[in-house]
Amino acid sequence: MTLKATDGPKLPGKAPIKTRRFSVSLVWIVPIVAVLVGISLVVHSLMQEGPTITLNFKTGSGLTANKTVVKYRNVVIGTVSDVELSDDQKSVNATIKLVKQAESFTREDSQFWVVRPRIGAGGVSGIDTLLSGDYIGADIGQSSARAKKFTGLENPPPITYGEPGKRFTLRTQNLGSVDIGSPVYYRKIPVGQVVAYALDADGKGVNIEVFIHAPNDAYVTENTRFWNASGIDVNVGANGFAVKTESLSSLLVGGIAFRAPEYSPNDQPAGEEKAFDLFEDQQTALAPPSGKAQYLSLRFDQSLRGLKVDAPVEFLGIEFGKVVSVNLDFDVKKRSFPVNVGIVIYPQRLGQAHLKMLEALKHDPNDEAAGIKLIGTFIENGLRAQARSGNLLTGQLYIALDFYPKAEKVVFDSTARPATIPTIPGSLEQLQEKLESMVNKINQLPIERIAGNLDSNLVELRKGLTQFNAKTLPGVQTTLADVSKTLQSASSTLAEDSPQREQLTQTLDELGRMSRSLRELSDYLGRHPESLLRGRPDNAPPMDLKAPPRN
Amino acid sequence: MANYDNLVICEHCDCVYDKVTLVNYQTSYCSRCDGVLQRFNGLSVEQRLALTFTAAVLWIFANFYPVMSINLQGLKSSATLWDSVLALSVGPITFIALVAAIAIIIAPVFQLLLLMWVLSFALANRRSPAFKSCMRWLETLRPWSMLEVCLLGAMVAVFKLAGLLDVLPGIGLFALAVLSLMMIRLAGRDIRDLWGIL
Repeated sequence: MTLKATDGPKLPGKAPIKTRRFSVSLVWIVPIVAVLVGISLVVHSLMQEGPTITLNFKTGSGLTANKTVVKYRNVVIGTVSDVELSDDQKSVNATIKLVKQAESFTREDSQFWVVRPRIGAGGVSGIDTLLSGDYIGADIGQSSARAKKFTGLENPPPITYGEPGKRFTLRTQNLGSVDIGSPVYYRKIPVGQVVAYALDADGKGVNIEVFIHAPNDAYVTENTRFWNASGIDVNVGANGFAVKTESLSSLLVGGIAFRAPEYSPNDQPAGEEKAFDLFEDQQTALAPPSGKAQYLSLRFDQSLRGLKVDAPVEFLGIEFGKVVSVNLDFDVKKRSFPVNVGIVIYPQRLGQAHLKMLEALKHDPNDEAAGIKLIGTFIENGLRAQARSGNLLTGQLYIALDFYPKAEKVVFDSTARPATIPTIPGSLEQLQEKLESMVNKINQLPIERIAGNLDSNLVELRKGLTQFNAKTLPGVQTTLADVSKTLQSASSTLAEDSPQREQLTQTLDELGRMSRSLRELSDYLGRHPESLLRGRPDNAPPMDLKAPPRN
Repeated sequence: MANYDNLVICEHCDCVYDKVTLVNYQTSYCSRCDGVLQRFNGLSVEQRLALTFTAAVLWIFANFYPVMSINLQGLKSSATLWDSVLALSVGPITFIALVAAIAIIIAPVFQLLLLMWVLSFALANRRSPAFKSCMRWLETLRPWSMLEVCLLGAMVAVFKLAGLLDVLPGIGLFALAVLSLMMIRLAGRDIRDLWGIL
């Protein structure tokens, strides 16, 4: 290409311009970032948001929307977002927003309750809520089903799920003073508690559920007996007065104790949910098993005032049964009112005797007819029932089975059910009879005749006495006067200055003199016996020179 | 009538000057009173609009996320801006609650809405419908928007309570801080430039 002179330098052409309809400046990144941050926050909170559940409480006390939290093991797992009355205005619905991790709390059997300060016999709980305000406690269930609506508990459950230990069911007739939370003792150490109780389906008993914490749950064995340890056990016996109780708190809130009997061979730890009987007290709980019950019927022709249902039945002084019924009957033939007493006996309670008897007689305890026949032979040998007075003060009666070989023979009906054991009157009854016969004899005495005779005798006596008074007594009186006179003269005779006494003195002097002269004579005669014949010589010496002078 | 569009009057001493075009870091001053006449505004209409949207998002954060939460012995409480207005309204000073609501919630949101309205039309080089009244309202609302006051109050509360209680500043507080700064920038006097552009 050649350049021509006429061709000046070509002007540069205009570059084509494209106008973009929208030109977006970089500054838009700023709002986009802001929006992204916002979205991320929203997404994060959506991700964090767990399920929403509704709890139904009796009252809304302590529940505040957006403030009350739900805690599990003291970690917040949700908040109350709304509190409102239920549709029927009978309760309060609290809407709870759970956090994501707490998803498992929607299991159907999860439990929720309001934690507030509580003071009970078992202790004080929830003190921390005094400052922080009430919160909702939660416990995870184990069910695989999920739920949206829950009913809040009024009281915290005593046991949380997943706590190591075992649950057992106790059957009893009544609840006694046991309550939820009552302690369960093993050798007086609290090892568990009562977690629930409910009536039987037919309302004829109570099922108490207890929880024994690990590792002590191993002590609940197949043979273990549970008994009610509430209250005080007062025993008055030959050894004095004994008061027994498990602990002060069991006095207040009731309690249950358990133990296996000392001799329980081949004992295995009991399995979960095993059912036991709850006995009234330790003594009945640890008593050997009663064995098979045998129902018997007794028929008394006497008043049985003081015989109550549950009165003991003793065999030779060993208690082995009890009275189950006391009913009045009407005897058509005799037109009398006998009393029918139903008793139940537990032959196994006789222990050694029962075992030996079974062995010796080759008796099968499950063979009822044979058992009745055995009773028949005992009755042949004089087995009789008697209502005896156990306590003279209260007049309580008990039934005693004893052998009376002299008792009248009776025919035993071995086909009747329950078997009937013949009776003899009670000991008090016998005493009454004896007294009666004595009174009869006394009645038969001829008391009137005796009284008549006695009366006539008395009349005679009175007559004699009158005679005596009228006739004999005056004579006696005069005699006595004479005697008195005689005595008077005698006393005057013997008086100091009486002439008689003077004379007596003189006489006595004379007598003395006489005796002296007699002695002289005798002395003289002793010395001069010849003088008796010859007479006294003239030169005779004085009779006694030493003799006292004559007066 | 002469065209006075490119004149500028000093707002302090009413001296009249020709408008000049400034570049970055430049500021024009009044020769009589040394007051600032014009300042370089680096924001285009598009940037303004973008920042306005950002501010709107922040406003949403500030109002829906708790500004702060306090914690005392397990007693926990957190509050958003709206909660604080409600708290004021139940007291004996309900009127103050109204003022607070206007100052920290209503005025800013109106400012943002008006800005969005005006700027989105300005982006297309058009005057929006009711442009004049919108611009006047923006001017009227400016003294009523007191986000920075609210921010200062919240920060004072946070620092003072920090010794007594466990105080946790929330997302709302940070959003509020950024929002109040952006509002100063966006809804300031510079908005009057729109009169000249359009």
